[in-house]
Amino acid sequence: MAAAGGLRRAGWRLWRARRAVVRCQQYPPLRALQASAVLRAASDEHKKEPWASSSQQHFESPPAEHQPEEKPQGSHPSYTGQGGQQSEDYESEEQLQHRILTAALEFVPEHGWTAEAIAEGAKTLGLSVAAAGLFHSDGSELILHFVSDCNTKLSELLKKEQKLVQLGEAEKKPIDEFLRDAVEARLRMLIPYIEKWPQALSVLLLPRNIPSSLSLLTSMIDDIWHYAGDQSTDFNWYTRRAVLTAIYNTTELVMMQDSSPGFEDTWRFLENRVADAMAMSNTATQVQSTGEAVVQGLMGAAVTVSNAGTCRAVRAELLLNVSMCFPPTSRGQHGKTVIFHNLDLFKGDFIGSLRLVHCFVVEELE
Amino acid sequence: MAAAVAPALRYSLLQRRPLRCGPGVRAVPGAGAALRPCSSRVAQDGINQPVIDRIIRVDHAGEYGANRIYAGQMAVLGRSSVGPVIQQMWNQEKNHLKKFNELMVAYRVRPTVLLPFWNVAGFVLGAGSALLGKKGAMACTVAVEESISEHYNNQIRTLIEEDPEKYKELLQVIKQFRDEEQEHHDIGLEHDAEATPAYSVLKTAIQLGCKAAIFLSERI
Repeated sequence: MAAAGGLRRAGWRLWRARRAVVRCQQYPPLRALQASAVLRAASDEHKKEPWASSSQQHFESPPAEHQPEEKPQGSHPSYTGQGGQQSEDYESEEQLQHRILTAALEFVPEHGWTAEAIAEGAKTLGLSVAAAGLFHSDGSELILHFVSDCNTKLSELLKKEQKLVQLGEAEKKPIDEFLRDAVEARLRMLIPYIEKWPQALSVLLLPRNIPSSLSLLTSMIDDIWHYAGDQSTDFNWYTRRAVLTAIYNTTELVMMQDSSPGFEDTWRFLENRVADAMAMSNTATQVQSTGEAVVQGLMGAAVTVSNAGTCRAVRAELLLNVSMCFPPTSRGQHGKTVIFHNLDLFKGDFIGSLRLVHCFVVEELE
Repeated sequence: MAAAVAPALRYSLLQRRPLRCGPGVRAVPGAGAALRPCSSRVAQDGINQPVIDRIIRVDHAGEYGANRIYAGQMAVLGRSSVGPVIQQMWNQEKNHLKKFNELMVAYRVRPTVLLPFWNVAGFVLGAGSALLGKKGAMACTVAVEESISEHYNNQIRTLIEEDPEKYKELLQVIKQFRDEEQEHHDIGLEHDAEATPAYSVLKTAIQLGCKAAIFLSERI
């Protein structure tokens, strides 16, 4: 009964805020919304019992209900607006979840990427531990949130550096150094969570999470290349990103198993891989220019040969014209003699001799 | 599965289809607590990035292909009487390609994976049509340019539907290029493209190929 009362009050508040109008088309977010509203009601009124039963509801509900990232307001532009913050007096669901996950991060080294960490984080915010029910039990959202956070921090760092370079306050780094520093900066963000990171990697590889994690990875790599000054618009775009992704992933794996002080081995590994990549790209450029030079050489040789052939043909025609000076009756004999003589000139030059025969035949027909 | 798919759904403002992860952040600019485990790319002043992505990617692929088609035609007919005409059209296509290269970098759009394929296919189409003679080359030009003009018109319509003010520069570029492609189409007709044997068959086949190329380049 008390549970129903609590829910009814929360529902009424919802109705006044008109959010139900937006959400009513989407059943799952409505339930999640009710959950967050109930959580707030619970924290306001400190009612643990009705709340525990409703929280049980959530634990049992299918995972499909928990869709923190969905934003159904998309169809109502005025809702999202430009300011992001809605005009209502309480925060949106996504913001609440964002806050819970951020708070949960500090408990990860202790509890791992689990619902316990989320529960502890929710506690610090004054919410009940059942807030963890808003999320998946394997901590996927927590990990994805963390990765997304790190990527944003990396973007901001790179943008700041770019501004410094543009203002002339810093030197523009060579590409290999830039890539090295960017990957190192990004991997250093893992250091506080390095113990539990292998677990996180395995969760990120779950089929359910692969679209999100892949998208996060590709956008991070794209960001790094963008700030490194990559302006390729051909297949190089893909090659570069593939190479950097490989470097990043392998370095990350090395870091998991690195026990050297300050992860020196990892940074040395990174340096070597970047140097390898640079060498490979230089080699590729050299091979390409060598190939082009070879092709040009062959074309030149072919032209020279055909020119030589033409010279001979010209000479043959001259000789033929000379043979025309002989009177017609004797031309046949003389012509043939002349031709036989001329054929010596064409030792091995089949084309040239064909041309001569052609001239002769044409002459005869005329 | 639904928990991953649904978070990946983006109800971006003017998106007709829910998008998987990625540029969804831009559709909701300033949604500070973006619990979107997807793109960390900053929104560029609230433009509809997925739509712009497709437009620029496919246009870039188109100009790249057109470039190669004219290169193929020049390789065969370069020294004939239509050589200068084709060369002039080719130069304009080169300018178009250059412009789209710049736009691609400015909007951070990825090029299509099929570029190496369009490289070869374009050259083969150009050279093949040129081997059918001058009229064949002109017929190919007419077919391709007609396809491209229609495609540019569609894009102009899309952009105008979205927001003519926001995309003013892009609209201007596409309109200008559409006019130039239309010019090429008319030049092709002037040079007796329609007198090609099996003109309608050739034209239909080439236009089908163009449609397929456009479809693929937009997505891949």
